[in-house]
Amino acid sequence: MLPILLINVSVVLIPSLSSIYYSMTDWRGIGAAHFVGLDNFRRLFFDDPSFKHAFTNNVIWLMMFLTVPIAIALVAASLLAPIRRGALLFRMMLFIPYVLPSVITASLWRTLMDPDHGIMGKLNSLGVPGTEKALLGTKHTVLPAIAFIDNWHWWGFLMVLFLAAMQNIPPTLYEAAKLDGANRWQEFRDVTLPGIRPTLVFMILMTSIWSFLTFDYIWILTQGGPAGASEVLAVLVFKDAFQNFEAGYASAIGLTMSFFVGIIIMIFIMLRRRGWEI
Amino acid sequence: MEKRIKSHGSNRREFLLAATALPLATALAHPALASAQDKANIAMWFDTTGGAETANCIIETAVDPFNKQGNGITVKATRQANGWEATKTALAGGGGPDIVGTPGPSFAVELAKAGQILPLDDLITKFGWDKRYVPWTLELGKVSGKIYSLPSELETLVLYYNKTVFEKNGWKAPKTIDELMKLAQHVKDAGKIPFAASNAEWRPANEWFVGEMLNHVAGPDKVYQALTGAIPWTDASFKTAIDDLNEIQQKGWFMGGLDRYYTATTDDRYTSLASGDAAMMIEGTWFMSDAETYFGKDAGFGTDWDWVPMPSTTGEAYFDVGIGSTYSINKQSKSPDAVATFLDYYFSPEMQAKLVSHCNLAPAPVNVPTGKLTDLDARHVAILDAFNKALSSKGYGYTTWTFWPPKTETYLIDNIEKVWAGDMTTDQYLQGMQDMFAQEAKAGLVPPIPPR
Repeated sequence: MLPILLINVSVVLIPSLSSIYYSMTDWRGIGAAHFVGLDNFRRLFFDDPSFKHAFTNNVIWLMMFLTVPIAIALVAASLLAPIRRGALLFRMMLFIPYVLPSVITASLWRTLMDPDHGIMGKLNSLGVPGTEKALLGTKHTVLPAIAFIDNWHWWGFLMVLFLAAMQNIPPTLYEAAKLDGANRWQEFRDVTLPGIRPTLVFMILMTSIWSFLTFDYIWILTQGGPAGASEVLAVLVFKDAFQNFEAGYASAIGLTMSFFVGIIIMIFIMLRRRGWEI
Repeated sequence: MEKRIKSHGSNRREFLLAATALPLATALAHPALASAQDKANIAMWFDTTGGAETANCIIETAVDPFNKQGNGITVKATRQANGWEATKTALAGGGGPDIVGTPGPSFAVELAKAGQILPLDDLITKFGWDKRYVPWTLELGKVSGKIYSLPSELETLVLYYNKTVFEKNGWKAPKTIDELMKLAQHVKDAGKIPFAASNAEWRPANEWFVGEMLNHVAGPDKVYQALTGAIPWTDASFKTAIDDLNEIQQKGWFMGGLDRYYTATTDDRYTSLASGDAAMMIEGTWFMSDAETYFGKDAGFGTDWDWVPMPSTTGEAYFDVGIGSTYSINKQSKSPDAVATFLDYYFSPEMQAKLVSHCNLAPAPVNVPTGKLTDLDARHVAILDAFNKALSSKGYGYTTWTFWPPKTETYLIDNIEKVWAGDMTTDQYLQGMQDMFAQEAKAGLVPPIPPR
């Protein structure tokens, strides 16, 4: 226990506390830091339009990931749950994108979405409308396009978790529902969903947290561009810390991100205390 | 250039003696070497983030031969991924390599302000580096009146063009901005892409074009005045420069359209120029290391390339100066004299010539003798020659990554996309740049701007 505690203190607690301290300094990432009180937070909330813009993009990202991948994963898991023959093969096929490194997935889809050479290029040559522009290079489509790529690798993982949860539901519940005349949708709504609720809610919680921390796909594909259209909070942290020499200000943004994540966790804890089975 | 080398003949002598492995004679010929007779191990890190090929070449070309001299100094070369981040972290912890490499003068300035590197003024006098370097380039490493870094990897940007396509269409390489804009329209009318340009893999590529237009439309004298605070960035000449750049983007002259500019890779860009789909390319001298790959026989395009200086409003040839990296001495180094001896060897014009020829490395501003650039494409030599001459006159401009303070640099990279997207006017863009610049200037964060 002690070694684990020591590791946690050194790689979690101390960096966290130092982050809080640096968020109230003008530290440039090199050299001495000078205490500036809450000035970084004042600037963040009142003077920095890019923070509001990035926060809005994080919220849009959250909405997309709380709906699309969860819906796809639920439907796919429901369809796969009754399958016995070839079940492992299907699961593996759908899970494989999750184990691909983000750099590879991003490069793959960058090529596929190329309006001159990839799938989009083929569709474009066939005259399919909306394929003549590069989705990753157009400010109105860039965020959904990156979310699509991230989701492509993500939903298979959700599906496997939901599938595992579904297989723990006693078959007798489905038999009873059938005897009561329930159709497929009613079975899903009244048996499956309540049966996997702890997993579902846990994944909603984790998706919410991860949505506020999202960085890799956006950085690899667009670095927040074009024209800031795909900029999220983590991208701002990176730019401020490593390009603008504003490590103190970046710590303030990071701390604010942690605050948002903390709010989400608090909501879940409160719901649980009120008797929600999550 | 030859005159400069002759005036510093002792360095050339040292190099030749060292290269012929006469350590005792070398030590006697140079007091610094003599003082380094006690065994000294010095650490040098080589960044391998983009691949280890260049690092390996530098080690084989410069470090290994130095170690074989037997002068009591051994350079321990370490291949280090994320070299700059690793160096920063190590320095903050009181460690790090003896020879501190940074990605540019502004980074070295930060280390100097933090007291992590040594002032080099005495060594500059002792080794005569002030005579070897293009004088004003040493000023870039100045903090509070002392010089803390030696500039390395001198870069500039020029206008490359597909010579075969130009000859076939009877186009003439432009000298003025006006000619450039007219030619771009002709190229577009001929169904080709005027400029191969993209930023998908390197977002800061935006600053190449902003910097080129500021320097070549408004002129380097105006840029100098703005960098020294004599005029604001909202000056009408800068507005013309940014408007011209915006016109280029709005007309789809960069890669065929904004969306292509944002998504095309470096490979796409070079391929489009070599294949003749695109006619021109505004790019840095770093393209030289890839030119053979795309225009060589193996590429199969059967075209050739050439270059001209980036056109300017007046038609005068300007070369914008960029410093790709710097070297300093770690304050914690136990053998600063030994480090200085190695730096003296490394930045000798002869060694720089070897590094340029063998490793395609951009040379340091030390008047590399072009006659020694063996195995190098004649066009590459011609660019270096013209650039060297420009450095000694007023024919040079300023790259944004070398002379702009960090936040203003990030601002101009990020926000030019808002101008192109129509979310920001040129006036708002320049006003924002002025506000940010003034703020950083007040905080003393503008890199040293050598007197013009």
